[in-house]
Amino acid sequence: MSFLDQVDPELVHAVDVMPAERFIAIGEDVPKARQMTEDYQSKLRGALPYTDVTIEETAFVGPDRDIPVVVYQPTNPAPRGGLLWMHGGGYIVGTARADYHGIGFAEHAGCTVVSVDYRLAPESTYKESIADCFAALNWMVDNAGELGIDRERIAIGGGSAGGGLTAGLAHYNRDHGGPALKLQLLLYPMIDDTHDTPSGHEITHPTVWHRKVSFEAWKMYLGDEYGTDDVSPYAAAARATDFSNLPPAFVTVGALDLFRDENIDYAQRLMAAGVPTDLQVYPGMIHGAEMSAPEAAVSRRMRTEYRDAVKRAIG
Amino acid sequence: MSFLAGVDPEIARGLDFFSVELMNAVGDDPPKAREMYQPIWDALAEELQPSEIEIEERMIAGADGEIMVAIYQPPTPAPRGALLWIHGGGYIIGSGRNDPHGIGFSEHVGCTVVSVDYRLAPEHSYREALSDCVGALNWIFDKASDLGVDPTRIAIGGASAGGGLTAGVSLHNRDHAAHDVAFQLLIYPMLDDTHDTPSGHAITHPTVWNRELSFKAWRMYLGDEYGTDDVSPYAAAARAEDLTGLPPALVTVGAMDLFRDENIEYAQRLMAAGVPTDLQVYAGMYHGAEMSVPEAAVSRRMRLGYRDALKRAIG
Repeated sequence: MSFLDQVDPELVHAVDVMPAERFIAIGEDVPKARQMTEDYQSKLRGALPYTDVTIEETAFVGPDRDIPVVVYQPTNPAPRGGLLWMHGGGYIVGTARADYHGIGFAEHAGCTVVSVDYRLAPESTYKESIADCFAALNWMVDNAGELGIDRERIAIGGGSAGGGLTAGLAHYNRDHGGPALKLQLLLYPMIDDTHDTPSGHEITHPTVWHRKVSFEAWKMYLGDEYGTDDVSPYAAAARATDFSNLPPAFVTVGALDLFRDENIDYAQRLMAAGVPTDLQVYPGMIHGAEMSAPEAAVSRRMRTEYRDAVKRAIG
Repeated sequence: MSFLAGVDPEIARGLDFFSVELMNAVGDDPPKAREMYQPIWDALAEELQPSEIEIEERMIAGADGEIMVAIYQPPTPAPRGALLWIHGGGYIIGSGRNDPHGIGFSEHVGCTVVSVDYRLAPEHSYREALSDCVGALNWIFDKASDLGVDPTRIAIGGASAGGGLTAGVSLHNRDHAAHDVAFQLLIYPMLDDTHDTPSGHAITHPTVWNRELSFKAWRMYLGDEYGTDDVSPYAAAARAEDLTGLPPALVTVGAMDLFRDENIEYAQRLMAAGVPTDLQVYAGMYHGAEMSVPEAAVSRRMRLGYRDALKRAIG
């Protein structure tokens, strides 16, 4: 059965919404890939309905540079829950102006969302990305009062590479004595640099996140560790061996996502370690289609369920 | 980590719903277990009354004798979808009568539910259980118009042992009768006679469906095949090698269920075989708690999750 035959009919129009060139560019021409991503993101932003959520671009002083963040504030009174958001883009592209998610979570869960502009590969590696995310988490907690955030209701989350950073940050935060977290929200997270699963071999369609582009991204993100046995679990959380004392998790992925089986396996390992974990997998769903085909019924279901998970945890 | 520490606090009180005495009797004294179990289940069904669902019990012709079925008819005008419902009880206890699931699905989905009183172990083996369920499925297809049922909207579903039979009947139907079954609803299905997974070893609590009890039940159900390499995939669907061409599926299970990992793996194998599959796993949830502690938030989410799945498929 072909890939397209299995895609939910309501999503088929979204399969080719991203030209194949964007993924080719990730491997060959990173600035071009970033520009194409930004063009797409700004189109998504332009299509968003009016919102009462305020959006502020700011920066804070990090350990080795100023780190830009975008703060999304809903209208409900403080103290609110706080979500640290890590955007997707294969660790190579994308920016913190993740309005689709920032506004979505702020509205649905009534929480403050801090979206962090972590450093990207290939200019940096995972070490800088994780350091920026950890710094942003600490900044959020240190400035909780000013941000209107309740320190007891902090969550971290992200989609795709941002989901991978979320999983890595959960390990890093535990190991480095960071703040208590109510939830790690793992939306089709990029956590396994080997993709040695059925879905990891199966998904090769050129206009969705696929095996070949994913390896190219991992190579840039992991640097010298790529292809070795020494890949850090902070970079590729599927490499972790200790799953104890991690925050409760929500893992969700489409059945036609390259990451399907690695995500399911990761959820199973969290469960086996006693981490309260929800897992939701959607038939016919492709990587990120809940944003690229937002009207489809399966997109609505996926979005509602992951936003509800944030609401239950910190709402 | 102890079992109790992993259970959602809202459903912890349901751990007394079934006594240790009842659970032990399932393995050691089935007639006594049936006598103890039925009043508990009857009381759950009573709580759902009054309802607009009309319930009729009748005998239908099976392959080798008559089979009792309970038919639940909602006020929805024909043609309706239909669900062949296969009750749980470890293949040893339970009945097609007075099943609270019947009213629940009929009300939520507006479908006809036919609950089949299949023959139980140890008096019978899986062959008779399967034959009765297949007989009931054939009967629904034969009598679709008399029942007010749209033959393109007929699903099979069950919980626990009934979920195991659902998977087995789906395989058997593909291989033999080839009715066009619209959906298979696998609610924490009992699929794997080896339980050789992390959850299959972890869940040993005496008042939930546990490893020791499950092996006793499999021994009675499989007869001479128990413990051999020749267990029929119609009896233990996890044994099936070919999962292609099966009806779209929902697999749902609690993260604290003995069957968690075997269920997740079955869902993964369905997905890899190209079967449209929804997978929903709930943190802190143990076997059957959505019925024994129905008002808990996680119970409501699980029930709504599987009832909505059926509604999308045949509603």
